[in-house]
Amino acid sequence: MTSPSLTASKNASSLESLLRPTHFVSELRSRKKAQALDELAAALATAGVTRSPEIVAELLREREALGSTGVGKGIAVPHARSTLIAERAVLVARSQKGIDFDATDGGPVHLVFLVVAPPMERDPIYLKVLADVVRAVRLSRTRQRLADAPDFDTVREILIHAAAE
Amino acid sequence: MPPLNEQLDALVTLQDIDLMLRDSRDPEMATHETRLGFARENVKGLEQTRERLRRQIDEPLLRTYERMSQKIPRLVVPVEGRVCQGCKMSLPTSGVGRTTPGTTIENCENCGRILYRI
Repeated sequence: MTSPSLTASKNASSLESLLRPTHFVSELRSRKKAQALDELAAALATAGVTRSPEIVAELLREREALGSTGVGKGIAVPHARSTLIAERAVLVARSQKGIDFDATDGGPVHLVFLVVAPPMERDPIYLKVLADVVRAVRLSRTRQRLADAPDFDTVREILIHAAAE
Repeated sequence: MPPLNEQLDALVTLQDIDLMLRDSRDPEMATHETRLGFARENVKGLEQTRERLRRQIDEPLLRTYERMSQKIPRLVVPVEGRVCQGCKMSLPTSGVGRTTPGTTIENCENCGRILYRI
């Protein structure tokens, strides 16, 4: 039988390895979805994940036009695989005032998890990371702790534990 | 028709949109995303974007893409530090300087992929 701690560790591993201090925006300036995606793509470029933030932002907008990734309860998980992404990455960003993200519940988005990857045809790790992120923020107390966290290290700890629960 | 470097930008986006469309038509992928709460209702809009991008690309380049992308996954690849990101082989230095990036279509001599210089 697999021990609970081993299972928890396995569950967290994909997301854990992608959470980096360079991939964190403590407070987004933008209040609208399109501008927020530009800001996120620019942050990816600063973190060295892409050298073409404009094209990546366009792709993210196209993904949003397909259907919103604002899943409700203040959470959005924009995501895409792109030729111009060098490595899998998760960028965590917060907005105290909230972003109009066309979320499914119509509410503003306060926590954004941008998930990107190179364009592998089937990428189980990319899919697992998406699932890990959604699972990690399913509890309202976790979302509140993430919003209140003073720094990236605290955000990281909260996410790792929540994804492993 | 836009300059070649703009056509290559459109081609890269087209390749990524094609992957997104394949995901949308893949029942397993679509189910996975729907279960996570992500909406995917406007595939028609994505198809219209694809058409718009196609119109920005010269016919011979578009034909090459549509023919070769059936055989070679990730046909258009970036070049990083003279390395083709498709096959990871170094591009021969003899080719460097022979053409100005963005003025001719360059293919990797090893794998044949279309090279995209950022």
